[in-house]
Amino acid sequence: MPQTLSTREANLFRTVIRHYEDKQYKRGLKAAEQILKKNPKHGDTMSMKALIMNAQGKTEEAFALAKDALTIDMKSHICWHVYGILYRTNKNFDEAIKAYKFALKLEPESVQIQRDLAVLQVQMRDYQGYVQSRFAMLKARPQVRQNWTALAIAYHLDGNLSQAENILTTYEKSVTSAPSKTDYENSEAVLYKNSIIAEVGDIERALTHLESDAKNSLDRLAVMELRARYLAELGRKEEAAKAYRALVERNSERPEYYKRLVDVLDIPEGDEAVLKAVYDEYAAKNPRCDAAKRLPLDFLTGDNFRAAAKAYLNLMFDKGVPSTFANLKHLYSDQYKRDIMPILAEEYLEERKSNQVANGDSSKGAGAALYFLAQHYNYHMSRDLAKASSYVDKAVELDPKNTDFHMTRARIYKHQDDTQKASEAMDHARSLDTRDRYINSKAAKYQLRNNENEKALATMGLFTRAETVGGPLADLIDMQCIWFLTEDGEAWQRRGNVGMALKRLHTIFNIFDIWQEDQFDFHSFSLRKGQVRAYIDLIRWEDQLRDHPFYFRAALDAVKLYIEMYDKPQGANGVNGIDGKTTNGEDAAEKKKAAKKAKKEAQKAEREAAEKAAKQDPNKPSAQKTKDVEDTKKKDDDPTGLRLAGTTDPLADAMKFLGHMLQFSPKNIEGQIAGFEVFIRKKKYLQALRCLKAAMTLDKDHPTVQEQITKLQKALDPILDTLPPKVQEVISLEFTPAVAKA
Amino acid sequence: MDIRLLRPSDIPLIQHANLENLPENYFLKYYLYHALSWPQLSYVAVDVSRPPKTPYDYPKIVGYVLAKMDEEPTDGVQHGHITSLSVMRTHRKLGIAEKLMRQSQLAMVETFGAHYVSLHVRVSNAAAIHLYRDTLKFQTEKTELKYYADGEDAFCMKLDLQPIREQVREAIAAEKAAAGGEASSSDEDASSDEKDKTGGEDVDEGEAVGDVGRDPAAKPKKKKTGKEAEVKVKVGRALGVGELVERVATKQSS
Repeated sequence: MPQTLSTREANLFRTVIRHYEDKQYKRGLKAAEQILKKNPKHGDTMSMKALIMNAQGKTEEAFALAKDALTIDMKSHICWHVYGILYRTNKNFDEAIKAYKFALKLEPESVQIQRDLAVLQVQMRDYQGYVQSRFAMLKARPQVRQNWTALAIAYHLDGNLSQAENILTTYEKSVTSAPSKTDYENSEAVLYKNSIIAEVGDIERALTHLESDAKNSLDRLAVMELRARYLAELGRKEEAAKAYRALVERNSERPEYYKRLVDVLDIPEGDEAVLKAVYDEYAAKNPRCDAAKRLPLDFLTGDNFRAAAKAYLNLMFDKGVPSTFANLKHLYSDQYKRDIMPILAEEYLEERKSNQVANGDSSKGAGAALYFLAQHYNYHMSRDLAKASSYVDKAVELDPKNTDFHMTRARIYKHQDDTQKASEAMDHARSLDTRDRYINSKAAKYQLRNNENEKALATMGLFTRAETVGGPLADLIDMQCIWFLTEDGEAWQRRGNVGMALKRLHTIFNIFDIWQEDQFDFHSFSLRKGQVRAYIDLIRWEDQLRDHPFYFRAALDAVKLYIEMYDKPQGANGVNGIDGKTTNGEDAAEKKKAAKKAKKEAQKAEREAAEKAAKQDPNKPSAQKTKDVEDTKKKDDDPTGLRLAGTTDPLADAMKFLGHMLQFSPKNIEGQIAGFEVFIRKKKYLQALRCLKAAMTLDKDHPTVQEQITKLQKALDPILDTLPPKVQEVISLEFTPAVAKA
Repeated sequence: MDIRLLRPSDIPLIQHANLENLPENYFLKYYLYHALSWPQLSYVAVDVSRPPKTPYDYPKIVGYVLAKMDEEPTDGVQHGHITSLSVMRTHRKLGIAEKLMRQSQLAMVETFGAHYVSLHVRVSNAAAIHLYRDTLKFQTEKTELKYYADGEDAFCMKLDLQPIREQVREAIAAEKAAAGGEASSSDEDASSDEKDKTGGEDVDEGEAVGDVGRDPAAKPKKKKTGKEAEVKVKVGRALGVGELVERVATKQSS
């Protein structure tokens, strides 16, 4: 039976709660102890104590105590609530939901429990549960618009569009006075409703609604874009054209507007002159507009193209626009266009020969044309590295101090597979403009490509925040600098330092976890802000978060590395390296050295961090805060990845990365190929077969896919009879005919 | 090149562009905070010329402007603020930064009724200063000593958005006129009058407050911006949106 408290202790209990809320943990604990001295089996107090301990980072003790509290007082909503909070702060949202549900059953009127539960449900995409929660919250407080919008969102996410619209309409009808014009919660809610009507597919009604209800919307761009789209979809071409013209006027650098405009203008197929006239009008109207001049290059052909491309290139070279090549390279899928571009650039050089020294800026005129030609011959679709080199040499001769020229030189070396020279050239480019982080980043990247991890980190350190505890690397991790972590990991991998490589790849994995959790606060924040459409976009994107190439690249690296580790277990040298392809003594020595050095660096960083923390003025709130963060932040007890490299089950570790890869990027053949390799080693033949079939659908002529077919056959032949009949059946149904086709 | 509104799915590559280009970095959540509080204000420039490498490629961001409204304006005047703006070195000289800024400024006025927009720039960043001062016509308000983490000073710059406000008002009026309808147009007139009034006041007050109020306004602001510099780091690095809002609240109370 739960104990009841005396008045004095009941008051004390309230102070415990207050201290917790004010983050006065020590005082809170003291007060809790006082109560427990007299009432050692008071569940609520035990729970509060657990909550405070959790906030202090004593997670395990907190859980143990909270469990004890629950066994003493199963009927206390506080105990269940605390239990839920503990799970929530430790990111176990499923268990948190269960606890919250118990708490809510015991205390159905609690606004806080209901609200917390709702957030957990939407975070975990339990949309039906979310609908229920939001319904209850609306019933409790129907006068708040947020609650109506929230329920509509819940229905929307659950796929019930008509109910979502109904809810929004019901609220609108309940309002007697017209909302103010600067009420952007209202403005946004109206556009949200409009997006739902359009999502149902009723474009006619969406347009009517937009023109009547959203005419005063504060998001004018959204209204203009939606209206233009609806008109076009409804075939009201003349009005649509007008609407798209208005959009081009507003933002003349959005290719989509031109494209849609042209679509509704009914221009006869292949009439390039008429088509170009549409763009020319805007080019003339707005001399600073780039799109209107450049976009016709996409559809023009033959001499029309030649003339337009020449005019465009001349203009760009005269202005010295460094992105000229980057903005035209998509044209290279057309052989004619690809071949004519260097000719035009050469013509330009010829024509300007007489006056090339006239202006002092080397990025303009001849310099720009040479730069373009160097990039042209460096690009994979028009590659001739000798020519590229000779053009970049000429450009450098023109201006030895131009960073861009040297940057391109480095890129040419990279394509010549000379990572050493590439690294040096990029670092030289960097030295010409030491205030620009872009070139600094490139220099670091090229150093990593040349396996110079330590040097690259020092280069990065020129721009990271000096005061971050733990140095440049800690800052890059804090700031979620994925590209560096990936390149650094890959370089360590090439150097044979499996531990460091895994360390980086796992860090990237963790960053994606953070990105997924980042949405948590926005479930309630966005309702307060009223920006609903952006919130829906966020939810949709978060659902696909790990289809990002950032994730895929790191995950594929990790899976491949784990496969290698499985095939070639760790060597006897004790260094966290694989013995695989690099068994000669020199490499082993270098690996040993690298590991030693990394360990030393980590120790040094730790020492410095400790010193720094000690030096901080404790009176300064900021210093205090960092200290707190440091206190609660778990120390990295495996900075060089030794433990990761020492895994006894690399294939299980690979699964951690592989699952998301296959789930979110199934159309990437590299993922399927890697999946096959993991599954066949795990003797999961059906899953291996599934990957193989997916790969075959994507590209059955892929050489590795062909190898894998044979591999699977060889693996299956001797054991097929021993497999369960069901598995045999699937294999004969799925594999045999697939092989026959391949 | 494509210049368009930022979407949440762009953010990893916006963050990437920021990390490549600038020393002031933020974690992903801070970008989300902008994208979900003022989704109309931030724009990106996308390189649409790259052939996709995988079926899952995201648009390659080569430039962005990350913008916000000041949530607690010390001068009580609604205004926008540029948190971060950058364009990749490979895509400079195309006027991208200017175009991004102009789109953002228009939306600041239309959606949030901004009267001006402010920003900080390193005193050594000649290219950016040229863009703000000469191309976009920003005014330098003052110099903020040691604003940046590495000790460099910042210019506080400000652009009066009055011309855009008038332009927007005219555009709305023209739309209403085109839509016709006597009854509704008189209704609109009344309200746009109201707007005119506030707008008109600004013209006067804008100058007056600007001169008379500049110094007194600058002082608390200086303090505040000092904190804001902290916030920039903190918020950029703090844990959550919740904390962020709390900070703004405490800032006001302090």
